[in-house]
Amino acid sequence: MKHMLLGAAMAAGVATTAPAQEITLGRFFGACEDAGTDTTTSSGEACIIQSIINAADAELDGISINTLPTDWGNYYDQIKAAYAGGTPPDVHVMHRHRVPEFAGLGAVAEISGELEAAGIDPSDWSPAALDAVSFNGGIYGVPMDFHANLWHVNMDLMAQAGLVEDGKPVLPSSPEELLAQAQQFKDATGQDYLAADFAQFPIGVRVVLALMWQQNANIFTEDGTATINTEAGQNAVTAITQLFDAGLANPQLNYADSQQAFLNGEAGILVNGTWVVDFYTAEAAKEEVGLDSYYVADFPTLFETGATWADSHMWAIPASIEGENRAAALKVLAFINDHNIDWARTGHMSVRTSVVESDAYQALPHRDEYTGTADIARDTPPSERYGAIQDVLNRELQAIWLTDKAVGDALADAELEVQDLLDR
Amino acid sequence: MASRSRLTQTQAAWLMLAPFLATYALFLIYPFFRGIWISLHDWNLLAVAFNPDAKEFVGIRNYERVMWGKNITWSLFNAPVWQALGLIGLGLSVFLRRMNRLSRFNAIALAIVSALLVFLPGFHPGEGGRWYDRRFWPTVGNTLTFVAFAVPGVTISALLLAAALNRETRAMSILRTLFFISQVLSVTVVTLIWQIMFSPRQGLIANITETFGGTPINWLTDQQFAMAAIVIATVWWSLGIAMILFLAGLQDISQDIYEAAVLDNAKGVRAFWYITLPNLTRTISVVVILQIILHFQVFGQPHLMTQGGPNDATQVLVRYIYQTGFRDSELGRASAMAVFLFLIMGSFSIIQFVVGREKD
Repeated sequence: MKHMLLGAAMAAGVATTAPAQEITLGRFFGACEDAGTDTTTSSGEACIIQSIINAADAELDGISINTLPTDWGNYYDQIKAAYAGGTPPDVHVMHRHRVPEFAGLGAVAEISGELEAAGIDPSDWSPAALDAVSFNGGIYGVPMDFHANLWHVNMDLMAQAGLVEDGKPVLPSSPEELLAQAQQFKDATGQDYLAADFAQFPIGVRVVLALMWQQNANIFTEDGTATINTEAGQNAVTAITQLFDAGLANPQLNYADSQQAFLNGEAGILVNGTWVVDFYTAEAAKEEVGLDSYYVADFPTLFETGATWADSHMWAIPASIEGENRAAALKVLAFINDHNIDWARTGHMSVRTSVVESDAYQALPHRDEYTGTADIARDTPPSERYGAIQDVLNRELQAIWLTDKAVGDALADAELEVQDLLDR
Repeated sequence: MASRSRLTQTQAAWLMLAPFLATYALFLIYPFFRGIWISLHDWNLLAVAFNPDAKEFVGIRNYERVMWGKNITWSLFNAPVWQALGLIGLGLSVFLRRMNRLSRFNAIALAIVSALLVFLPGFHPGEGGRWYDRRFWPTVGNTLTFVAFAVPGVTISALLLAAALNRETRAMSILRTLFFISQVLSVTVVTLIWQIMFSPRQGLIANITETFGGTPINWLTDQQFAMAAIVIATVWWSLGIAMILFLAGLQDISQDIYEAAVLDNAKGVRAFWYITLPNLTRTISVVVILQIILHFQVFGQPHLMTQGGPNDATQVLVRYIYQTGFRDSELGRASAMAVFLFLIMGSFSIIQFVVGREKD
């Protein structure tokens, strides 16, 4: 009897391993129910990535992919808890800014020696992309994009305000010009010049960071000293608050509301990322949407040096997976790497030189309007406490524009708290 | 036979209890003491998962880092309003007890709460000092504010609804079901509904204010309204259970009393005040204490509706514990805060226990 049971169990074991290697996959980007397997026609981040995953599931022999349900806001908390519990997904997406934390602890796998065997050519990645996935000399993932803050422009409103020249929007080159153009815009159209999520997600933080970098300053140094309550910090914040004070922008709109304001034609400019270019393009084409003439511009330089906030999405595998599972997980990474052009349809910038130089990539809508962004992409120095630092800045900046806290006080408090985090 | 059955009775009792006790020990007692153990360590969630030796015993330092600061001093005039309120409460408890207007238990309870009110807000950083964790006490304050509004909000509205719906007609039973339905929804659904309701662009509330010529309020991103918005959503969500408890309590009140009262010309509001309320005190205290314990654990509503903002105005204790533990991976610190929360809720549970016994 015992033998029979064992035999049956073994037979069952053989039977289940033979047909398909199941790969669990963790990602954010939101849900897409009917993504299908056509990677060339899907639109929007959620559906494009899901169509690539579905195609991998269908096309890769002996691999089936199970996408785990995850939500944006709690993604990293879930991933960390999964790692801590010893059950991380076999493949998961992450941001480059998390690499110090995950690679530093040995959570994600170093894969430089396995890329070529899996069919991934790292020499096709741009130097910045390779840098994004590198840590202490190793490669800890496959980069998927660069994403950055852009200025999304409503050209009809800008034209009405006399802020269009040669088919391009006239954008400010100093804080004073920003205020003047915003006023000119309001006088001509009656609408807000600029909208962005200053109230919830850290889009406002990213704007202020960019304006600090434009003054060759940063919020903390590589050796861990917080430098927020500085002249550069003051300049960066007041460049924004002057718009709120003059009633030319509304700090109380959150992500959905600021986006809706822009799509309704109630704001000339929306500061948001590369991830919405295809969505806004599609919306602008609709009859019922207020936005008709859509343009994408690089984040303008208001101070000395060009800079805009940027990050990268990348795919990693846990250090703990081995054998067939690891080989299968690497095949999934290779498949995603092969479909970089499809992902670029979202509006993100490609990480592969061969894709960037392709005609298909250059023909993507609005692509030629923000070619400068790749050169000005920046982020804060690497830190294991990136998330907590962003949160401090978000709180103190919200205190300035939502609750009238004095700029100096808020920056001093932010500096104290960021220093605490860096010292922990 | 008799002696054997006596023996087996105890044994049988243990045997029957064993599954419960094992589960209870495994899933409640053990994690609880483990939590206290973790709170005494510098314990990084991920680092310890990959290397069990990566933790360091630090004694009560986590508690100090969370609750204490540099150069903390105490003075009577740090928070005059609260402390004065506490002093008045102390005076009242002595006075009312002397006048015999207050039971001994209530007098002691009032005195303890008042003493805490005088004592706790008196701490503040002195010259050149600072709290080590500048967010912890404001977060505790926000949690208390939430509880202070949500509990009376739920209790009063549930009581009024129960009184109004306590009739044997078909319409009333449909209404009772309708009001209870919100309770069945999960927090994600509730917060989604209310985020749409509160939206200044497409929300129902904004549309109503606009019809009357007002400017819509940015409920969720305005420091003055964000907490109110969360309280409103919570009251709507957790009305059902309280209402059912009140309905049960109402049905226990004999109709004879009302009939007698009508003869004395006590109807409607007067009957409610002089008959219904006094007969419901037991239910009310149960509802209030259950709600207090429940709402101290508030997490989903601020997490999903406001992300604790704006400027931490809706940051609550459980969300701070969650962020510290999972986002910042500082499990030791998070556990120290969790132990603090346990003490608060534990004390309310004790009060409930005592209240329950006293009335029996």
